[in-house]
Amino acid sequence: MKRIGLIINPVAGMGGSVGLKGTDGNVEEARRRGAVPRAQDRARLALAPLRQEKGIHFITCSGPMGADLLQELKIQNFSIAYPFSGESSGRDTTEAARRIQEAGADLILFCGGDGTARDLYTAVGGDTPILGIPAGVKMYSAVFAVDPAVAGELVREFSPARLRDAEVMDVDEEAYRQNDLKTRLFGIARTPAAPGRVQVSKQVYEAADEGRAKIEIAQFIDEILLPDRLYIIGAGTTTAAITRRLGITKTLLGVDAIRNRRLVAADCDEKKLLALAEKYPDTRIIVSPIGAQGFILGRGNQQISAELVRKVGIKKIIVIATPHKLAELPELFIDSGDPLLDAAFGDTLQVISGYRIAQRKKVHHEKKDYSPAGA
Amino acid sequence: MKTKILLDEEQIPKTWYNVQADLPSPLDPPLHPVTQKPVGPEDLAAIFPMELIKQEVTTDRYVAIPEEVRDVLRLWRPSPLYRAHRLEKFLKTPAKIYYKWEGVSPAGSHKANTSIPQAYYNMKAGMERIATETGAGQWGSALAFATMLYDLECTVYMVGSSYYQKPYRKSMMNVWGAECIPSPSTRTNAGKAVLEKDPDTPGALGIAISEAVEDAATHANTNYALGSVLNHVCLHQTIIGQECREQLATVDDYPDVVIGCVGGGSNFAGIAFPFAGDKLTGRHKDVDIIGAEPASCPTLTKGAFMYDYGDVAGLTPLLMMYTLGHDFVPPSIHAGGLRYHGDSPIVSRLVHDGVMRAVSLHQSEAFEAGQTFARTEGIIIAPETSHAVKVAIDEALKCRKSGEEKTILFNCSGHGNFDMSAYDAYHAGNLVDYEYPDELIREAIGRIPKIQ
Repeated sequence: MKRIGLIINPVAGMGGSVGLKGTDGNVEEARRRGAVPRAQDRARLALAPLRQEKGIHFITCSGPMGADLLQELKIQNFSIAYPFSGESSGRDTTEAARRIQEAGADLILFCGGDGTARDLYTAVGGDTPILGIPAGVKMYSAVFAVDPAVAGELVREFSPARLRDAEVMDVDEEAYRQNDLKTRLFGIARTPAAPGRVQVSKQVYEAADEGRAKIEIAQFIDEILLPDRLYIIGAGTTTAAITRRLGITKTLLGVDAIRNRRLVAADCDEKKLLALAEKYPDTRIIVSPIGAQGFILGRGNQQISAELVRKVGIKKIIVIATPHKLAELPELFIDSGDPLLDAAFGDTLQVISGYRIAQRKKVHHEKKDYSPAGA
Repeated sequence: MKTKILLDEEQIPKTWYNVQADLPSPLDPPLHPVTQKPVGPEDLAAIFPMELIKQEVTTDRYVAIPEEVRDVLRLWRPSPLYRAHRLEKFLKTPAKIYYKWEGVSPAGSHKANTSIPQAYYNMKAGMERIATETGAGQWGSALAFATMLYDLECTVYMVGSSYYQKPYRKSMMNVWGAECIPSPSTRTNAGKAVLEKDPDTPGALGIAISEAVEDAATHANTNYALGSVLNHVCLHQTIIGQECREQLATVDDYPDVVIGCVGGGSNFAGIAFPFAGDKLTGRHKDVDIIGAEPASCPTLTKGAFMYDYGDVAGLTPLLMMYTLGHDFVPPSIHAGGLRYHGDSPIVSRLVHDGVMRAVSLHQSEAFEAGQTFARTEGIIIAPETSHAVKVAIDEALKCRKSGEEKTILFNCSGHGNFDMSAYDAYHAGNLVDYEYPDELIREAIGRIPKIQ
């Protein structure tokens, strides 16, 4: 019997339809502007196909945070770990997740956006896998299924043996409303991998297991590290595999610098990195795509600023990612804050994906009108 | 305007052409893997029949094709040379494009041109079984077909990733009575060693070669056969280029550009060597000969020209060739037949000397060209072959720009009837464009492979 946690953030996504770019702390304003709740509808799409599943026991919250919908769908095999009434808040999500985890959930399915993912991660960290039914205004985190129906399928197919790392992003909602996207890497959760969907082409990975792929990438990077050169190592678990191989403890969510296989500086801010790049002119930057969209700059790695990239040089950025991650990213994104610099990356990038193996990936650029005369 | 240029059966060449005779200096000899001294015929006799060893080292310009072999070749040879009118029209190019269609052999590719003589000489030498490796399955099925004709047993070690990607190649081998085993296997020490280190490996041609060589070396009744790379294999394939030259002569033409895809180099050698000979001897100094290889395994364009082993385990003689290192396991592209770390020593030498050149391509651009070819000329070609088509198209488009009416010839080496899942992946947008990060490697290591 699978034990699946279920948390619905009843107000998720309400802000989006009325131009609020997020709902946290704005429910009343969203309602005033005419927003209607949509989380229940999104969750229904995921859960309805599971009505006949006998092998699932849901652990949920009362009322609109879960139990109402299960009852409506006539799913009876559930227990309530978190009684709740009134207006829900982030604190409810965190507390519900904590109790559901204590009740022994194998996976927590939630319906919401980045804010909900962050509240959930606060409670369960990387211990209990989480999976998002996309319903929020912003979904930069890599824990969401591509649509609600797929979320249902992933629950049905769930196996603790098939998990991947997934970045949870923290978006500053106040800044976001001012059209200023400030994100940082909040944590690294575990989420179901979807090999069925990425292997439709019978693509054979160099390493069947993503952990092994990271080790092979690290093996290759280890081979190409040169003496006396400074390497700035971006956030994430793929880059962390490099430092692990070198016996260095990495700041998982931050940016470190190494030289001659030793840690030079940990958890650096932009100022520190600029100073290091000044001191060591022949520097390289090693980064991995972050979040659901696959940003190599501008999300979770903001310390690696446009100024730093200009100083080091675009050609001196080494992008690494597992084939598993790349299979889920049709394009890579760059948002350094400097559109001219972003454009200078060109249309494609080489991404190291294994031992002496790279992939050529498309870089997303905002579409411009290039329609030539006579075309 | 002719579309198919055909020769009569009697016009199947009576000799193979040996380009070694026209090299300005001899090839560097293969070295013994242990002593690192040049290998002698006796070193090779454990796994090859003497006739093939003689062909491997001969510098005679022509080697007679036995009548018994020519009789079998009549089943599909001379293969047709096509003028690609529809492709030319689609490309709006003033260039003339010709392709030699080798997919008409029973096994569906050029590989039967050498599997037949190899099986024949082994039969003559009293062998009972042949062990071999195969990448995409074209060579394995061609050898299965040939060994059946001469009543020999056949064991094929098929690169694991291809074995599962292309199950029907295995079925073909079974129909012709051969045994097909996914490599690495537990049947050989070489296979076991790889599996121990890496149970999830997709396999590689270099690993499968180690297994087949070990199988042959440890069984008295068994010899080894290789589908590419070696001099005698390239020699057997020269029947392709010789026929092309005859066929083009009937329409009073001669190529300005000759193209073939390159894995180990045999189909490229087959179409190119007769023309390379014309270039070396000054008869046609300007013919441009281009090998098309995958960006994921760019041996000729990014490798080092040096002695290296032909296999992963280091069981084969050291060959002077372009190599990415014998321990390099190329990613699992769909053109499995092009996944080889090294290259034919003669092809390597000719590229090194500037007689021929090479370009590398990503698999999605190759598939795009393959689809264009299928939609104009009708034939669904193998992913390997699509690399050659891509270069032919690029050359034809250059002609459109320059207005030159060049004659472009390429080897259309095999059909893609067992590669439909790869075409599906292309249509679904799921093809991964692998490449070899050579800049990083070169900077750090200087030269890529090291012989250990």
